[in-house]
Amino acid sequence: MYPSDQHAAPTTRVVSQSVIPRDITDKFTQAASKLRTGQLVKDEYFTLFESVGALEIMDPKMDSGYLGPGENHAQALEDDYDITQELAPDEVVGIMDKLLCHEMAWHMGHPLSQTLFTSIYLDKLLWPVPNSIEETRFDRGNLAEEKLPLVNLVLRAYCLALVKACDFVHARVVSEHYYEEEDFVTQLYNRSLLTPFDVDHFYQLIDQAGSWVDQSDIDDTLKDAIKCRLVFRRDFLAAVEQDIGIMETKSTEHFESCLKQLPILKKSFDLGKPVPDAWSLKIQRKLASTLPPRPMVNVSPEDALAHLTRLCEDAIDIKEIVDYRGSYNLKNVTNVQAAVWTLLSRKAQPSVYIRSLAQTIIVNDLTILGSVSMKQFLYDELAELVLPASILLQADMDETEMPSDPRFQIAKRMDGFVKRFAQAEDLDVQLRTLSREPPLTMSNGEPTFSYPLGSWCYHQKLIQLRLIVQLGFELSIYAPEELPGMYWFLNYLCVTHIGHLDRIRTFILAASKLNLTTPGEKKDTVERQVAFQRSLRHLDRLTNHLVAMDAFAIALHALYVLLARHKLLPNASSPNAYSSDRLRYELRMKPFIPISLPEMVPYEEFRKEATLEGDSDVIVMDRATKAISEARKAWETTLSSGAFIPSEGSPAPAIEGDWTRDIKDTMRACIATSITIETVKKALSGARKESTKEGPKVGIQVEIPEQGSKSRWHDWWIVPQITQKTSSK
Amino acid sequence: MSHDAPSPATDAAPSAPTAATDLRYIRYDSSRENEYVAAMRQLISKDLSEPYSIYVYRYFLYQWGDLCFLAMNGDEMVGVVVSKLEPHHGGPLRGYIAMLAVKEEYRGKGIATRLVRMAIDMMIERGADEIALETEITNTAAMKLYERLGFLRSKRLHRYYLNGNSAYRLVLYLKEGVASMGTLDPLADPMAGPVPAPAPPLLHGNGHG
Repeated sequence: MYPSDQHAAPTTRVVSQSVIPRDITDKFTQAASKLRTGQLVKDEYFTLFESVGALEIMDPKMDSGYLGPGENHAQALEDDYDITQELAPDEVVGIMDKLLCHEMAWHMGHPLSQTLFTSIYLDKLLWPVPNSIEETRFDRGNLAEEKLPLVNLVLRAYCLALVKACDFVHARVVSEHYYEEEDFVTQLYNRSLLTPFDVDHFYQLIDQAGSWVDQSDIDDTLKDAIKCRLVFRRDFLAAVEQDIGIMETKSTEHFESCLKQLPILKKSFDLGKPVPDAWSLKIQRKLASTLPPRPMVNVSPEDALAHLTRLCEDAIDIKEIVDYRGSYNLKNVTNVQAAVWTLLSRKAQPSVYIRSLAQTIIVNDLTILGSVSMKQFLYDELAELVLPASILLQADMDETEMPSDPRFQIAKRMDGFVKRFAQAEDLDVQLRTLSREPPLTMSNGEPTFSYPLGSWCYHQKLIQLRLIVQLGFELSIYAPEELPGMYWFLNYLCVTHIGHLDRIRTFILAASKLNLTTPGEKKDTVERQVAFQRSLRHLDRLTNHLVAMDAFAIALHALYVLLARHKLLPNASSPNAYSSDRLRYELRMKPFIPISLPEMVPYEEFRKEATLEGDSDVIVMDRATKAISEARKAWETTLSSGAFIPSEGSPAPAIEGDWTRDIKDTMRACIATSITIETVKKALSGARKESTKEGPKVGIQVEIPEQGSKSRWHDWWIVPQITQKTSSK
Repeated sequence: MSHDAPSPATDAAPSAPTAATDLRYIRYDSSRENEYVAAMRQLISKDLSEPYSIYVYRYFLYQWGDLCFLAMNGDEMVGVVVSKLEPHHGGPLRGYIAMLAVKEEYRGKGIATRLVRMAIDMMIERGADEIALETEITNTAAMKLYERLGFLRSKRLHRYYLNGNSAYRLVLYLKEGVASMGTLDPLADPMAGPVPAPAPPLLHGNGHG
């Protein structure tokens, strides 16, 4: 059905000696004629994914090799642009800035084929793949730098340093597990980003280009513009070349000098003159790819610069995570988690390169932050939280495999985690016989052991379960009618977690008591006591933060229950929907079903709890009022205890600043909730006085503020927005 | 997939204008594929920057033509829904609404809701456990339509579409116990090993557990 005889490109026959080609055209045509139109010939493994990926040959929208009628091979592939032509200085600036825009577009997640690889200049440098740095010339060696130095020296040096910087960025990203592959396209289309060539060549070329510009007779403003672009290129190349060097040098000077160039660069954007003919989509046809032709991505200079500025700032602030290990000998998981979580949840989200860099710095070659072994890091954490002054963590007793995943990613691998959790508890049983841990007798009279490793895993698991729920708020996953239930579930997770920390505290207090009553060296006893105290303080901190979240969740839960009871809460589903509350609950809880601890709450129980069945409006209102006032106090305490341990003299001011802003936003949401509770209270009591035959009239309207709107004080704490009904009565 | 053509929020509201009187709702007929598929492609690709290849249409229509419904005004096709129904990773029988489109001048008459309901009713008749689809997060009209029918957002799919936009996966459970039906998850943690671990009983009944 496709005209295969007309515009077909000349075929290249590959004939190997062992294969005898046979023309099957007739047989194929005959077989195909027996099919009905639309009949699908496929095996059972042919999926929707493959059908979507299929290309319609000879459709110009899908077939990047398609030649239109009258179009010949040369015209289709080659551009008329003469790369040996002279360029004016303003045109060079224009090309450099367009390249920077494309480079940033690639950083933002667009493929090279729609960004940098649309540049004819880059194409000439990179294809055919150069064998030496000398070959990386636009004209492939016919012209020396002395001819048209502005193009062949200056623009070339800029292009080469750019490609080499891309090479470092690419290497960093592919070496790490970045979060979603949609965030970054690593495809190089069978081209090399000059990986084999030593970076020193590139610095030399940039320096040569710089000296030539200095001595040239280019007009001063344009000279400065070109110079600043070359300086930026050198700095940026050095910055990405030595990105993980900050673990050793503690220096962020290259990213800092990049930042200094950017305002100057911005001021001279207008000087550049665009050279639209220097870009072509025809290059896509030559790239090794099965993708349909795609348009060029145009990122504005302002957006490109904003992205670049953020990238440099984030890279500089990553140093604060590194600093953390040195000056404070408190390399604990809680601190690193807080720092990494805060930095990486900045808005807008740090770029893929930054995220990859952060990962490399956190864990590289089983070493945390470039200096602490993973084992030591985990031992310190276990000591801090569950095993202070324990014989189990002494250095010479450590042939134990740690049952944890150190990458601090949100629980994508909850299954594996659950299994390791079980292993941890088995391990606890074995270790108990070694440490001769005495059991405690609980209030129910049963002897109980501490299960330190299992306890630590459960603590981490509860953090991750809570984050899954909170990210649901952030991603606008929940329908308005689900909000009472989801805040109840958050409250349930917090209560469970607080109870778990209490359990850990009980065992540490018992061990501490035992330490004081067991005869031994006084110095050792005191040392151990210090460790116990530190763990207890750590537990208090964690508990307070959970209490703050818990109280806020209780308040919002109660508030939403009232709104739902009085039919004020908007409903996404209609009364004649196909689903029911029970089915919706099952769907919402699906991720948690395989998790045996904490136990999944059966629907009936959930329904009663989530609707506060049996509690009168007055009781529910009272619950909201009390909880929000407790929440406000607890968030104050959280704020004053700081992002890190210890709280004084934070070594990570930028990250701590982000953390503080986040807590303050939460507190604003708390205040807004207090006010809302009062408003609703008034409206409901007013309504009771004015009740009609159809029931009480509540003169308010409720809206759920969208993410990003002014009244959405915090992504995780959705305060309903109340307005007075104007047309009521 | 599911590039749902926006249909205004009034779509299924009780006050919505009554559907045009001469609208007919019919099931796709494979003997008229030449005529229908061309019209369908035109209708669906109108709002798309990158049209699906003919294979995508054939993939659905050849296997699940009976789950495809058309709204016709005389001979003119003004609305279409394309879907499929098969076990999801060897687990629940999952319906999937792949495409939904209504001609612009016919929107706001409840046509899209009617078509989706026809597809869902047919899936229920055929024993579907659940129904899923994706829709662009900016397409609030489509999202409202499905949420009114009882779908919940289950996942946000980051940069799902080629234009860089994100999507929500919307899911509707039709039976109890669907969430616990096993699937052969191709993305399961390879480090976790093949045997599901028994529930860790140790913290149960042990102190606060």
